[in-house]
Amino acid sequence: MIKAEPKTILSFIHQHFDLLKELFLAQSRNKTIDYEFLNNEIEKYGAEIKNQLFEYQIIKSINDEYQITDVYYNLFEFILQQFKPLLPEEIEKYVQSITNLFIKIKEDIRKDKNILIERIDSLTNEIDKFLSQVKNNTSSLLVKSRDLKANIDNIDYQEKIHKASFWIEYYIIPLNNIIDIHNSESIYNILLNISEYTNEKRLNFHDENIRLKFERLYNRLKQALIDIRQQSEILVNELIPLIERIKTENSILKGMHHYLSKGLWYKKNSPQQELLQKFRDNVFSNDFEFSTKEYFEQFQLEVDVFINDENHSFEDWIFDKFKYKERMTESIPIQNFFEWTMNEIKSENADFNTSQYFTMVSLLFEKDINIEYQNQYEKVIIEKDNTELTIPVLKITKDED
Amino acid sequence: MKIEYPKYHYDIVKSLLDGKFILFPGKLYKSASEDKEFYTDFFKESFDYELIVETEYVYLISDNTDEKTSRDIMTFISILSYEIDKEGKNFIDELNSSFFNLERINQYFENSHSWHEIIKENKQINSPESRKSLIYNTMLKRNLIEKIGENFQFTKAHKIFLNFALELIKKDNEVESTYTQ
Repeated sequence: MIKAEPKTILSFIHQHFDLLKELFLAQSRNKTIDYEFLNNEIEKYGAEIKNQLFEYQIIKSINDEYQITDVYYNLFEFILQQFKPLLPEEIEKYVQSITNLFIKIKEDIRKDKNILIERIDSLTNEIDKFLSQVKNNTSSLLVKSRDLKANIDNIDYQEKIHKASFWIEYYIIPLNNIIDIHNSESIYNILLNISEYTNEKRLNFHDENIRLKFERLYNRLKQALIDIRQQSEILVNELIPLIERIKTENSILKGMHHYLSKGLWYKKNSPQQELLQKFRDNVFSNDFEFSTKEYFEQFQLEVDVFINDENHSFEDWIFDKFKYKERMTESIPIQNFFEWTMNEIKSENADFNTSQYFTMVSLLFEKDINIEYQNQYEKVIIEKDNTELTIPVLKITKDED
Repeated sequence: MKIEYPKYHYDIVKSLLDGKFILFPGKLYKSASEDKEFYTDFFKESFDYELIVETEYVYLISDNTDEKTSRDIMTFISILSYEIDKEGKNFIDELNSSFFNLERINQYFENSHSWHEIIKENKQINSPESRKSLIYNTMLKRNLIEKIGENFQFTKAHKIFLNFALELIKKDNEVESTYTQ
């Protein structure tokens, strides 16, 4: 029995709300509040309020720990909008109670009026509670999934994928099965049947009071069906894709982690990984085009730089001094040395050049001949290779000395 | 006999043989995907390469086990993704739409303690210069990134590496489940 005035209690909550919020969050995390935590928080906020907490029945003692009582816990949960997701099994109990109440109403529709009214009211309440739980659950699952996606707790990706799988397996998919509008056994379709029945009774039931009760129930059901559709859409269009995305992105990261971890291992053991074994390769090397161009350019260069014809028509001429000296000796006396030389070389090679001619002229320097310079005015003109040589007439005789 | 080739045939073949990804949207993508059957046969019969046509890109794969470029890019993207995730951001969204620059990339790689050894050992990613070359030569030439001023963005073709990571995990799970049976 609480002796305090309601306003005193509300004022107390208002005054110490920050501390109460810490206690609520601690209990949300750990199910209970331990002795040390409670004392520390009281000390931190400098408020000696332990007695009031018990007096106003805000907390209760369980062995060596504490717990916020249900009514206050629900209040904080609601005003902080931090609902703990309920297990689908906890929600499903409403489906059972709603179904049972409806069956009873139908069976006993012609029996006691008062129990009928009680049951209609009770059914309306159960539907309200059910909807409230579904909404809270969807909302809290959405918050938790978004937090998980943003990784606000900086948890490891493997834990993240584990949590995502946990939420989807134990909370989201079962909740979706309960409210799925496409599932004939879902609560949506049960409520739809109740709505049809109620619609009929609100119009034609013989008792006016009960007609009004059915009218109220029918209006609640209309709204309930809209709400369930909305919640189902949130689950199907937002929550399930969101949680699937968390699973996917974490699978990718896990794959990358796996790849990097095996990367070092790969170097030593060459595993057959598909990416490396069968994957787009650089079919041609990056500089293929440049290398090819360069390769052909070197041949183009050889063509541009003309190489002399190797098949020249004349044989290499070698000055055979011994042979020509012998001929010269046989021809002595020679009246005109330069003319004789010209004829000699011509007889062997008509296409001689001036260089070869001058080589032949070197016979003049042989020791055993005598050179006579007869007439200084007498000249010979020899033309060859665009060259015109004007040279004196030299007589060669044998040196008798 | 004169053979009628699809539109932009030369550019399509050249791009793909150069190891480029042909991206959607674009005239080459349109032509290559419309004539998917022709090009699949063409590359198989001419080069023994497999043509992959995805909804956002087209590329070739071969059986060349010595190919190292994709391994280096996979390593680069894996480390980058891991570091982005560590930063608390969604790496899929970041790779898909965020702008990167060399300074940001270098910060990730220089502060990566988890993969320090791998970075040190891979010549394609172990220095700012090598990373610059990998990004602006290798990846740019293959249409894996798009240069926008001083920044760059990944093209949709980067998803091939994310899909590969998923495949790795699937295979790993299959192996695990085989063992547990």
